[in-house]
Amino acid sequence: MPLRSTDSGWGVLVRAFHWSIAILILVQATIGLTMVGMGLTPAKVRVFALHKSIGITILALVLLRIAWRLTERRPADPAGMPRWQVRAAHALHLVLYGLILAIPLSGWWFNSASNAPLVWFGWFDVPSLTGGYDPVWKPRALLLHQTLFWVLVVLLVGHVGAALWHHFRQRDDVLRRMLWKR
Amino acid sequence: MTTKTSSTFLAVMLIALVAAPAWAQPWQVDAARSTLTFTNTYQTVTYTGQFRRFNAKIEYDPADLAHARFDVEVDIASLDTENSERDHAALGTAFFDAARFPQAHFVTTAFRKAANGEVLADGTLTLRGISKPVTLTVKFVQKGGDATLDVTAQLRRLDFGIGTGEWADPSMIGDAVTVQGHLLLEPARAPGVQPAASARSG
Repeated sequence: MPLRSTDSGWGVLVRAFHWSIAILILVQATIGLTMVGMGLTPAKVRVFALHKSIGITILALVLLRIAWRLTERRPADPAGMPRWQVRAAHALHLVLYGLILAIPLSGWWFNSASNAPLVWFGWFDVPSLTGGYDPVWKPRALLLHQTLFWVLVVLLVGHVGAALWHHFRQRDDVLRRMLWKR
Repeated sequence: MTTKTSSTFLAVMLIALVAAPAWAQPWQVDAARSTLTFTNTYQTVTYTGQFRRFNAKIEYDPADLAHARFDVEVDIASLDTENSERDHAALGTAFFDAARFPQAHFVTTAFRKAANGEVLADGTLTLRGISKPVTLTVKFVQKGGDATLDVTAQLRRLDFGIGTGEWADPSMIGDAVTVQGHLLLEPARAPGVQPAASARSG
């Protein structure tokens, strides 16, 4: 598997970014949906701290992924794929990039506006985006964070559905070229 | 100096002398410009909070520490750490329990001078129903007729049962709390007796 993407498949770095971020998003969504219902205990504080740390990790990975992706070409679309499908697929990917960038950013923003601590895995202090408590933007940032998450959920259903449709119905290599075995 | 001004001066001095109370000078706190803040750590990050409402009775004359007295009542519900979730939790039963203990009270028992010349005020702090001795470092600066009083104290939240049990872990919430009072004082104006005011105008 080549480091860089080729005409026929994604490079190893793109795949590593794709699957590490995918797994982290699954973990993060599970934690996020669970933690909001927890009673106030030190455990809740720790779970929130974990959610924040994972979120910052995802943000960093997404930024690296986008930077790397900008230096690369993408593999060719399957021969005979209708033009509207090509356009829809590329547009969806662009929106997904935007969402996985905006969701951690809005969470970081919400945390900053809440004047809550953010220590990355207990290791270092992540600075505030608002320079302190901001009760005006705090609820807006939270609403944005939650809304964008549910938009992501809907679009991911489409993303995964499209990948499976390519694999099982079209029998092309769209899914395979993102998997590890090839 | 003319006879008239010197006799006025004498009269003012006499009034000041007669009106001078047996206790140390009482002061009135300018509440709008005075603050009662504290610093602590939460998830190892230092934060600052304050109590927005407190009532301080200050009797203090740096030359007469024997008669000095601070008596401070703090409205616990006026806590503000600029984080609404944290404030809400802090007022709950696990922490300040503001519903059962709406006031904290500090009153001095004795003033003394430390070896380094600092003035120390020993007193009793009653917080969440627990009374413990607490010592304040006192910095008093008089300017014109007004004065600034800065006091600092080191407390341990666990001494007062604030956040015990599963919340006792100091890596989550630090045990050490530094309390700082910054008070702007004006001479107290009791009706008819205004020694400080006449001293200022004279």
